[in-house]
Parts: sequence; structure tokens; C-alpha cells
Amino acid sequence: MSANAVYLVLIAALFSTGVYLVLDRSLTRVLLGVLLISNGVNVLILAVSGPAGGPPIVGVTPFEDMSDPLPQALILTAIVITLGVASFFLALTYRSWVLDSREDVLDDDEDVRVATQQRLEDSDSDVYGQEGTG
Amino acid sequence: MVSVLLPLPVLIPLVGAGVALVLGRRPKAQRLVSLVSLTAVLATAVALLVLVDREGPSSLEVGRWPVGIGISLVADRLSVLMLTVSATVTLGVLVYAVGEGIIDGARGTPVSIFHPTYLVLTAGVSNAFLTGDLFNLYVGFEVLLAASYVLLTLGGTAARVRAGITYVVVSLISSFFFLVGIALVYATTGTLNMAQISVRMAEVPLEVQTVVHLVLLIAFGIKAAIFPLSAWLPDSYPTAAAPVTAVFAGLLTKVGVYAIIRTETLLFTDSSMRTVLLVAAVLTMVVGALGAVAQSDIKRLLSFTLVSHIGYMVFGIALGSQQGVAGALFYVAHHILIQTALFLVVGLVERRAGSTSLYRLGGLAATAPLLSLLFFVPAMNLGGIPPLSGFIGKASLLQAGVQDGGPLAWLGVGAGVLTSLLTLYAVAKVWNRAFWRPADEKPVVPGDTDVVDRLDRAGAHEPDVATAVTIGTPGAADRAAAGATITAAVTTPVADEGDASAPQEGPQPASRAMWGAALGLVSVTLALTVAAGPITRVAATAAENLTRPEVYVVAVLVTGEEQG
Amino acid sequence: MIALVAAHLLAACVAPLLVRRLGRDALAVLGLVPAASLVWLLVQGPAERVERVTWMPEIHLDLVLRLDALSWLMAVVVCAIGTLVLVHTSRYLDRDHRGLQSLTGNLMAFTGVMLGLVLAENTLLLFVFWELTTIFSYLLIGEDSRRKASRRAAMQALVVTTAGGLAMLVGLVALGETGSYELSALVADPPSGRVVDVAVLLVVIGALSKSALFPLHFWLPAAMAAPTPISAFLHAAAMVKAGVYLVARLAPGFADVGLWRPVVISLGLTTLVLGAWRALRQTDLKLLLAFGTVSQLGFLVVLVGLGTREAMLAGLAMLLAHATFKAALFLVVGAVDHTTGTRDIRELGGLGRRKPVLLVVGATAAAGMAGLPPFAAFVGKEAAYEALLHPGVLSPLAAGVALAVTALGSGLTVAYSARFVWGAFGGRTPADAPADAPADHALSPVLLVPAAVLAAATLAIGLLIPLLDGPVVAYADLLPAGYEGTYELALWHGFSPALWLSLTVIALGLLAFVRRDAVGRFQERVGGHGDADLTYRRTMRGLDRLAGAVTAATQTGSLPRYLTVILLVVLVLPGAALAGAFRSWDVRAWDTPLQAVVAVGIIACAVAAVRIRQRLAAVVLVGVSGYGIGILFALHGAPDLALTQFLAESVTLVVFVLVLRRLPKTITQRHSTGRRLARMAVAIPVGLLMAGVAATAIGAGTQDSVSEEFPAGAYDFGGGANVVNVTLVDIRAWDTMLEVSVLVVAATGVASLVFIDRRTGTPQHSGHASAADAERGRRVRADRSESGSWLRGSEMLPRAERSVVLEVITRLLFHPIVLVSLYLLFAGHNAPGGGFAGGLVAGLALVLRYLAGGRYELGEAAPLDAGLLLGGGLVLAGGTGVLGLLGGADVLQTAIVEFAMPVYGDVKLVTSLFFDIGVYLIVVGLVLDVLRSLGAELDRKEAELQDDPSGARLQGVTS
Repeated sequence: MSANAVYLVLIAALFSTGVYLVLDRSLTRVLLGVLLISNGVNVLILAVSGPAGGPPIVGVTPFEDMSDPLPQALILTAIVITLGVASFFLALTYRSWVLDSREDVLDDDEDVRVATQQRLEDSDSDVYGQEGTG
Repeated sequence: MVSVLLPLPVLIPLVGAGVALVLGRRPKAQRLVSLVSLTAVLATAVALLVLVDREGPSSLEVGRWPVGIGISLVADRLSVLMLTVSATVTLGVLVYAVGEGIIDGARGTPVSIFHPTYLVLTAGVSNAFLTGDLFNLYVGFEVLLAASYVLLTLGGTAARVRAGITYVVVSLISSFFFLVGIALVYATTGTLNMAQISVRMAEVPLEVQTVVHLVLLIAFGIKAAIFPLSAWLPDSYPTAAAPVTAVFAGLLTKVGVYAIIRTETLLFTDSSMRTVLLVAAVLTMVVGALGAVAQSDIKRLLSFTLVSHIGYMVFGIALGSQQGVAGALFYVAHHILIQTALFLVVGLVERRAGSTSLYRLGGLAATAPLLSLLFFVPAMNLGGIPPLSGFIGKASLLQAGVQDGGPLAWLGVGAGVLTSLLTLYAVAKVWNRAFWRPADEKPVVPGDTDVVDRLDRAGAHEPDVATAVTIGTPGAADRAAAGATITAAVTTPVADEGDASAPQEGPQPASRAMWGAALGLVSVTLALTVAAGPITRVAATAAENLTRPEVYVVAVLVTGEEQG
Repeated sequence: MIALVAAHLLAACVAPLLVRRLGRDALAVLGLVPAASLVWLLVQGPAERVERVTWMPEIHLDLVLRLDALSWLMAVVVCAIGTLVLVHTSRYLDRDHRGLQSLTGNLMAFTGVMLGLVLAENTLLLFVFWELTTIFSYLLIGEDSRRKASRRAAMQALVVTTAGGLAMLVGLVALGETGSYELSALVADPPSGRVVDVAVLLVVIGALSKSALFPLHFWLPAAMAAPTPISAFLHAAAMVKAGVYLVARLAPGFADVGLWRPVVISLGLTTLVLGAWRALRQTDLKLLLAFGTVSQLGFLVVLVGLGTREAMLAGLAMLLAHATFKAALFLVVGAVDHTTGTRDIRELGGLGRRKPVLLVVGATAAAGMAGLPPFAAFVGKEAAYEALLHPGVLSPLAAGVALAVTALGSGLTVAYSARFVWGAFGGRTPADAPADAPADHALSPVLLVPAAVLAAATLAIGLLIPLLDGPVVAYADLLPAGYEGTYELALWHGFSPALWLSLTVIALGLLAFVRRDAVGRFQERVGGHGDADLTYRRTMRGLDRLAGAVTAATQTGSLPRYLTVILLVVLVLPGAALAGAFRSWDVRAWDTPLQAVVAVGIIACAVAAVRIRQRLAAVVLVGVSGYGIGILFALHGAPDLALTQFLAESVTLVVFVLVLRRLPKTITQRHSTGRRLARMAVAIPVGLLMAGVAATAIGAGTQDSVSEEFPAGAYDFGGGANVVNVTLVDIRAWDTMLEVSVLVVAATGVASLVFIDRRTGTPQHSGHASAADAERGRRVRADRSESGSWLRGSEMLPRAERSVVLEVITRLLFHPIVLVSLYLLFAGHNAPGGGFAGGLVAGLALVLRYLAGGRYELGEAAPLDAGLLLGGGLVLAGGTGVLGLLGGADVLQTAIVEFAMPVYGDVKLVTSLFFDIGVYLIVVGLVLDVLRSLGAELDRKEAELQDDPSGARLQGVTS
């Protein structure tokens, strides 16, 4: 079976742009990235589902000319799931804005703490070793 | 009989969730619905376990469509084993949550949100274990993930929202790769039915197989938190409400592990990923355990051991021998129960002492003997002290490693015992500091006072910024200062709710139900040891079936045809 | 025997209750349990006896206990000393001792597992008991948890012995896999090979760590933080002997294997001297004994590990001797401590005069330690010299060295024994404290008797050795004799070289004590007490730092980094595999050139969205690219997809807008160019990889798809012409049912993040509007002469925010749109459409009402709780499944009902329609929930803020 070049290019483009945005710290952009990637995935599923054809509706298109209905069902499911999750993520963005009056992904405090303490110990104090074991 | 029971573990909680939503304004009724549903699920699971263990695997074609066309539900020994354990845990945690909810009212776990979502989560988990269709597995994952997003951010405090964002984005990425994997499978084999894939994949050129295989493994590896795909976990789980953390830590990663088991034993039957998995296993064990040693907050410490011990399971799967897989299976069961139990106990600790930071806790052994016992036993179990269940799983894995005898296998054995030691060291540290050290003794904290503040703050759960501003808690995050005054204005309406759901400073009472749940789960972990004979036998049989994929394939394709 | 162990553990469980009733006397009462066991053992005799209960055959861990000469000896020691210690402790501790309950329980439990350890035949079972002794020792050492020293010592003992234990576990497993998991079988027929050599070494390491041999000896002196009687039992008589026991147990089979002898003997001898050397310098009586123990353990390991009959005879004799006299001495120190309140040689003085009985007991036991005739140790040592004088298995040189070192060690032993007696009882009472000072507590006989018994025992064993050595000989006979003729343990072998050696050693030892000042100065100069404990502390601190460093490196807490790592893994693993799988892809340009045109548009939008900083614009661009995808779907021949894609994109846009209202217009925070380039360096390869992967998979696709049977199936069984829809609601209905539950929780989640503590707010009817809004409404109606307005709810809006045009359009379009949505729902089975499409359309209708009329209008449009829609939908969808079951059919199996209706004609009703209705309801519910929370509720909050004066501050944030 042969691959549709247009789809391939599209996959590459959507994934690249999407990933680039997802790696941003602005929640809005992260979500936009997610949406682009999900479109990329859908195109990928479409691409593997063989050549274009008539709408898979009995009576409208003869069986042999129909486009593969199964991947379409999968994509439809994926679209709907993405819709749901995207709405939730937007709610998260809003909440994050309300609490911090910013919409960036922040680093985890406890991790930062462990790292800081690490730096401190290298400079400092035999006591921790003892407390560590006691 | 089996075919009647098969769909119930999914249908019951789903319908239950629906009913719970309809009863939106009647908390009591909702609680009742959840309790009834999950009890029913547990009963079904046990029934399935007995039946399948006696009669062997069997399957059901949803909607009587021919095999491969429709979706198959499959109950083999592995799936029913997982199902039973997860049902036990979910029920236990539900009881705890109900107990907590009754005390806290809407604060910790808002009934009308928690119960429907929790039921849907259960449905998703059950479906992941029962489905025989790769795409349906994806949907099952999405269900439990979506539910987990909501549960994780319950109460919407600053810490939880931040954790939620990390968790959601990482999960989304993994799901996308899962979808890509599915597309590739469909492209190469033209089917989504896992039994058919198992047969057809053999005809796909090996190097293409490898590509597909790796994509799927990465997707599952993220969900199972295998190093280096694991960093998201310790940042997200510990911030949630106690019961939520408990069920996440116990269950969710194991669904990923389950998926990996299927991938390695059913979808791709040549153990071509052996090396990759062995290396990953070793790294996961050691790095995770070191992470645990470095922590000073019990919840986070446990989260790191969680990651670390996933390594054991991966090790067993990678070895691929019956002994190895059996060990992995037993360890999965053990770890689901032990992690959940421990997190529930830590929940009790937090309510009693008002913190889970080792810099704040102290003297619990003297002041709370029962609680101490309740912590010590599962903690030692996690540390692999025999004859508790953790040791049993490990012993089996070590034996498998030695039998294998390859250099990487020996490396795994070494990493295994090292991890066991580090884990024991970590939990003993918790015991020494939180339970033995007198509360009044000033902990030794490196560095200047400013850092001491930082440590204390990190120890206590950072209160909601809104709280910080409205009641002026000292522990406010640095950045709270920034838009604080403004934020205060914006969120005043939300504030009181927001801070109510933030973990409280200072002690809170714990209800009988919560104690009961924790006690119950701890005793179940002990039962694992007492009944180790039969359980190891089931695990062994399950592993034996897994090493012969045809068992599964026949169960689906043949019995499926009979129905179709 | 299982019963014995079980009895102890049971006793441990009831101990706390007993203590609650009887106080410290409970300890004495519990002493009956080991006492009874002792009686049983003595009656039973060292006869061979095995008990076997299968437990987990899959991992070869069964309850197999075996009694033979060696385990009988050990068991007797454990039970006897256990009993005496329990009795002694019942007076040693104060009535109100803190944590008496847990201490008693732990002590009992320890006795039980120790008994199990020496009886275990199954190696894994042995390890079980082994680790349990470690745990109880941990709890008992840390008994006084208020003292940091105790906590540290406990942790130290735990870490060191567990480390050794785990090494041993690996060894035992390796031995089990190559040989057997049963000790007797293992020794009878030892496996061989490189693995075995390593395995044996690992086991030995475990044993030595437990018996505190150099270089892991340091934990034992620290463990003296435990109460003295506890130390007597765990850290002198019983637990530390476990290692010796295991070495003795394995020697018959493995003494000749690999590194066994070099390791065991060299470490043993080093420990022997080092321990004695340091014992000689201690001022704390207990520490003196502790280092003495270390030294003696080294000696014991050498003897039982050597692997000859004579050495084993000597070793076992010494083992009995040491168990008795060392326990006795510890109890004596306990008594001293109890009466005078100190154990420090420098503070003690003249105690001998004040407590003569104690002096007698102490002196006797010390004489036993020194190995004076006719004590047991004398017999043992003579046998030891004998064994080393006839090298047998050793090279003459090695034997010579061993002999010399042993002699030296024994000499030092004599010296520190004398130092002990002198330090504890000798000298004169310090001037400030008159004889029988008030400092002295009365000395209860209960404290003294056990010590006396043990002291007597060590003497008796020496005198009656020929009568008692039955089991010793029995076990030693398992080993090859070192030389011709059979050596017997006895006090008197005539004037043998060994005898002379003994006497010389004793003499020199005493001399060393007499000239102790000189010796002390000498020790000062030599030093030779390297601080292993410091090494341990450094190691642990190193570990903590390593842990910190690794964690700081891997756990950065930054989401972008986590994602980068994940994506790099994707690039490396499947990337490499793809390189391997690469083959010329057969690629066609397109199915229709239109695809290319659309694609260009999509890519343009995507790229623009990446660059632009205005939020809304970026969102719109992505939306447009989404619509483009919809067109592609249409071109591909997927009308349902196209329809759903369009609707979904639209709804997403709306939600975006609802939230973006609250955020700044532009994204302020920027990334450095470096960061941006790095992101590109990850993003673009990932994109290419995905395309390549897809192409490869497509190229490899050989088998025909299962979906080829869908159309026919859909029509015949599914009763629908639209194959995709039938697939959704029937063939793969199970997917759909779960998928809608995703929507349900997503909706719930959105609500929960806005209404924090409840699922959703009540619909806001204009009926009960907030005072301010109602006022506004009244004014509106007042100054509008013509009756009513287009939308009731919108009257509540401030005039500025109202658009009559929009209201008119809405008024006209709302109901038609709802009808369309219903049509899509019902027609879906045979034409493009279905529950999703229908639901989304209905949702958009609601959006229209809200945008035009504000939150009250939304309340008017949908007066019911979204929860009902979601719940109802879920029940309906899942219910059809359940009904299918009840109806005898399978889950979600479709039934087709056809009947004629008067006017309408034939109706073909497919049960899966109800399923689709459920889907419809849920989608509507989702949209409604989103509008309620992210729309209406946010409006309400903002309104509240604007109504209250402080609202002014708000402007800076929201707009």
C-alpha cells in the first residue's frame, strides 16, 4: 500500500509545531500545542487507513469504493475525547490564573527544595550525615 | 456464566456514576450508590477469579459481533487477578474517603464531584484489565486518566493545580503516542483485536515490528512511570487528597505495567525488548530508591519508592521466564495493596500531626502507638522484610534472575537487593525521625534560617494562595506576594472554599471508617503472606499462560467464533 | 518445634496485655515459655528430627525445621539464656519503665525468631528468621528512642546487618538454584562452579556482618545503647552467634570452596586481636565486654570455619563457654549499673567490699572469660591450640601465624578479664562515698541469681565436659580429622604442648595486667584503633549526598524538561529502530490535488500560531487549521468526521474565548533564543520521525483489514446504512460508552474547578436574580414602551452589553437549530450525523443564547441541572448494555423492532438509537456545564466584584 505524501508532510508539520508549543511555559500555548498534535495524530490515523473513497454509507457508495470506516470511528472518538480534555485544561488554566494571577507552568517547590538543600550540604555541615542515620 | 459477569465490572460503576450524578444534591444517596456499586464490582471480580482459575480463560464478543469486527472482553488469569486486587483497593479507599467526607463535609472530597468521578475511574481501570481490543484499551486509559485529572485537582488549591497541569500534559503526550502506536498496528496488521494482532504481527517484517513495539512501550512506560519517563509522578501524586493519592499510587501506574505485560507476552511474542527493559528496570529501581532517600516528606518519599519498585515488575517482565513473570505478577498485587495501605496510614498521620514533613513530625511512637504499629508493619513490608509479601515477590524475582544467569540479569539481581536496602533505609529514616525522635527535639537542618523556613514551608502543604492572602498564613508562596492583593480581590468569593479544601494546618479528627479502611488494607497485605501458597500458585499459573500466548489467542478466537 | 516457635510469637502478642495487668513481673511469667521449651529440648535430646509444612512451593519457601546436634546446642543456649535474661530483666527495669509493653513484646518475639533461626532447615526460611532478628534487634536497640545515640545505633545495626543479610540472600538463592534450598541436602552434596564460589562468599559476608566481624564490627559496640540485659541476650549470647552458627553449619560442605578459608580465617583473626586490643582500653564496663565479644566472635568464626574436627570441637566448646560467661558478665554489669548507677571504671571503686556476692559471681565469670582452668574456655582453648598445632588443612606457615595470633588474642583476653574484675570491684571506695553509700540500691536476688547460674554453668561445663560433649562430638565428627587419632575434649590431656601454651598465655596475660600502665602507654603509641564508625558515617553521608545529587539532576520539577526527556527517548529508541527499518517508501503525491491546497493552508495557520503572541489570534489560527482538517476529512470521504470536526472545533473555540476573556491579551513571558532553538531541535525531528514511522508502517501493511466486513455487517446486523455511525453505536458501542464517560468527568471537572466544592450552581433564572441585576431589569422594562423584549434574560444585562440584532437572530434561530440537532440525532443511523453531531449542534444553540442574552438567558434556555443530563445520558447509554444482558442477549446487542404506524408508514426502530440518545444528552450536558461554569459563574463573580466598591482594583487583572 502506498502513502499519501500530503498527509505525511501534514503529519510532520502538525507534530513539529505542536511539540514546539507544548514545550512552552504559557498554558495557552501548551494547550494549542496539544490541539495541533492531536490533529496530527488524527491525520496519521487517516493516512494509514488507505486511499480516499466515497462516504461509507450503504446505498450511497458501493462497498468497494467506500473509504475505510473503522479508522473514521477511531478518529471520531479521539476528537470527542480531546474536546472534553481540552475544556478541562482550559478550566485548569483559568483556576491557575485566579490563584497565581499568571498562567505559566511553575517548577515544583519540593524538587527545588531538595536541589537547594543538596547545594547547601555540599558546602556545609557534617551533622546531616548523622541526622540522616538517626 | 463468565460471559454474563464479564461486562459488569465496567457497567456497574458506569451506571452507578450516572445515578450518582442524577442524585446530584443528595450526598447520602450518592455515598450509598458508590458503596453498593463497588461492593458489587468486588463480588463480581472474586466470582470471575474463581471461575477463570477453575475453567481457564474465556472471552465475550460485545454485541455478538464476529471476532475482530466487534470488541472482545477477555478474562484470563492475569486480568481477573488484577481486577480482584484493584476492586479490593478501590473499595477500601472509597470507605476511607466516605469516612473523611462525613467529617470534613464538602471540604476535602466534595461528594457530588468525588463519587461520580471515582466510579468512572473504577470503570476505566476495570475496562483496561478486561478489554481484548487495543483501541478499547486506549479508551479505557482515557477514561481513568480523565477521571484522575479531576480527582487530582479536587479542591483546586495552588499546589494541586500546578501538579494537575504537569500530570495532564504528560498523560496527554503519552496518550498521543499510544494512539500513534495503535495506528501503526492497524496499518501493519489490519486489526485491533489483541488476539488477532498476536497472530498477525508475526508476519510483519521484524524491523517494522520493532518500531511499533517501541512506540507502544514508550506510551505505556510513561503511564507506568519507568525511568527516565517517570519524573512527573513524584511531583503530581503527593499533592492530592489523601484517599486520591492512595488509589493513584496503588493502582494507576499498575495499569501501565499491565499494558506492558500484555505488550510483551501477547502483542509481541519475541522477547526482542529484553535488553532495553532490563536496563530500564535497573535504572528505575536505583534512581527511584535514591530519590526516596533524598526526600524529607513522607508522601513524596513513598512516591519515589513507588517509582523505584515499578522497576522490580519491569525486571520480571523483561526476564520473560515463567518464574520472572510470576514474580512480577505477585509483586504487582503486593505493591498495589501496600502502597495504597501506606498512603492511607500516612493520611491518618497527617490528620493527627497536621503535617507529613520529617522536619515537623516527631514522637508518634510514644503518643500514637496503634498508628505507629499501623505504619511500621507495612513500612517494613515495603522495605522487603520477610516473610511479608514484599519479600515473597522479591525472592521470586531474584530466583528468576539467578536462573537466567545472564550478565544483565545478575545486574538486575544486584540492583534489586540494593534497592531493597535503600528502601528499608528510607522508611527506617521515617520511623527514626517521625515516630522515635521526640517531638520537642529540634531537627538538624543544614543551612541558614532562611532555608529552614523554606524547608518548613515545603514540609507543610503550601496553603492555597488565596488562603495565604485572606487569612495571612505565614507559609505563603513567594510568588503569592506578587499579585497577592489583587488575587485576593479576584478570588475572595472562591477563597473560603479554596482554602477549606487545602490540607489543614494542625490536627484533625479521623473517623472510624478511615481507621477501618486503613486497618483493613493493612490486614489484607498480611493476608498475602498467610495465603501466599495459593496466591503464588495462581500467579504461577497466570504466568505460565502468559508464556504461552496461544492460550489467550485460542480463548478469544475460538470461543469467540462459537458465540459469533 | 514449629509449636515452640509459634508459642513464643504468640506469647509476644499477648505480652503487652500481660504487662498491662502484671507490670514488669510479666517478664518473669513470660520466662516460662522459653523455660518450657528448654525442658522439651532436654527431654527430646539432640536426636535428629524434622518437621515439614509446605507454604509456598513456587518459591521453595516452606516451613521446614530440623533438629540435629548443632541446632540442639544452639536452641538450648537460646532457651536457657532467654529464660534467665527475662527473669533478670523483670527486676532490672523500673516499675514505670517507659515503653515496657513494646519492649516485652519485642523481647519475646526475638526469642521466638532466634529459636526459629537455629532450627530452620529451609534456607529461605532461615533468611526469614535472620532478618526478623535484625528487625527486633533494631527495635530493642532504639528502645530508649529519646536518645539520639540509641536511634543512630539502631539505624546503624539495621543498615549494616541488612546489607550483609541481602548479600546472603543472593548467595542462598544462588546456592538454592544450583544445589538445594535445604541446608542438610546442600551440605551433604554441595554444588560447585564459579557461581557457587561467589554465592558461598556472599553467604559468608552475611554471616560475618551479623557476627560483627572486622570490618563490619563497629555496629556491635554502638548497639550497647540497648538495656544491658538485652545486650546480654542479643549482643553476646544469641543473635551475634547466628553468623557463627551459619559458618559452623556450612563448614562441613564448603570449608574447601573458593575463598572460604582465606576470608574466614584472616578476618576472624584480625577481629580477635582488634577486639581484644580495644577492650583493654575501655573504661565503660559494658563497652569492655562488647569489644571482648567482638574479639571472641572472631575467634569462634576461625575455629568453626577452619573445617577440621578438632577445630570444630574447640569452636563449639568455646561457643558454649562464651555464651555462658559473657551473658553472666553482662548481667553482672547490669546489676552493678542498677546498684551504683554507673558503669564507668573511673567512678566505681570498692564495690567488691560492699557487694561481696556480686564480686564472687563476677570474678567467677571473668575467670571463665580468661579461660583459666578448670573453666569451659580453658578446655576450648586447649583444643584450639591442639587443632592449630596440627595444621592439617592449613599450610604450616598459615597454621603457625594463626597459632601465634590466637595466643596473642587469648593473652589480651586474660588481661582485659583481669581489668574487668579490678575495674568493677577492686580499688577502694572513693573517699567522698562512705562504704555502702546511699547511692547503692538494694540488690534484689532476682537480679543476681541468673548471673550466678550462668557463672556456675561456665564452670560446670569445664568440669563435666566429658559428660556434656555428646552433641558437640556428634557434630564435629561430620568434619575430617586434622590428624591421626581422635582428639577428645577434656580438662587433662597430660603435659601436652597445648597445655604449656595455655599456661604461658595466661601468665603473660596476667603480667600484662600487672604492668597495665606500661601496656597502656604502649597502646597510646601504637594506636591501632581505627574508627570504623567514622567510615560508616562518611559512607552514609556520601549516600545521602549521592541521593541528593541524582535527584536534583533527574527531578528538576520543570514540565518542559520532563517533556523534553520523554521526547528525546522517543527520538532515540524508535528513531534508531526506524533507521534500521528504513526502506524505500512507495509514496503517492495525493488522492486529489485539493488535499495539497488545504494542507498548505493548514500548515500556514499552524506555523503562524507558533509565532504570534496575541492569545486570541493564536487560538483562532489553530481553530482555522482545525477546520482545514475537517475539509481534509470531507475530501477523504468521511462526512461524519468532517461534521464532528467542524462542530468540535467551534465548541473548543467558544470555551477558549470564555476563558481568554479573563487572561491578558498577549503572552508576555518569553523564552531566550537558545531555549527556542533547543525546542525546535526537539520538535522538528519528532515531526519528521512521526511521518517516517507512518510511511514505514503503511509500506509494511500486507494484511487486509477487518473493516472490510463492516458495511455489509452494519446494514444487515446493525440495521443502519451509515457504517461509521453503526460502528460507533453498535459495532464498537463499548468504546463509545466509555468515551462519553470521559465527557461526563471532563464536564464535572470543569464545574469543580469553578464551583470548587459542589458539582454545579443552580440555573440562574431572571426570577431570582441578584438585587443589582433585577433593578437593572426593571429599569429596562420601564423605559421600553413596547411590550417585552426579544430575550427575557438579556434584560438583566447592562445596556452597553446588549445587541438587539444578536438577540433577534438568536430568537429566530434557536429553535430551528435545536430541530436540526434532533434531526442529526435520529437520521444519524442512515445518513451523516448521530448523537455527537446532534449534541454539539444543540450545544452551540445554547452558546448562542448565552452570548446574546447573558447568564440569565442561559438559565431561561436550559432551566435544568447539567448533572441530570450527564447522569441521565450515562444511565441511558450504560443501561442499554445492562438491558441487553437482562434480555438474555449479550451486552449492547442490538435488537431491531419494525412496526407499521398509520400515517407515517413503516417504522424501523433500532435499540441502539437509545444509546445514541444517551450520547446526545451527555454532549449537551458537557456544553451546558461549560457555559454555566466558565460562562455564567465567572460573570456572576465579576458582577459581585463590580457591585462591591473594592471591585475597582479588579480591572488590572481581568482585562
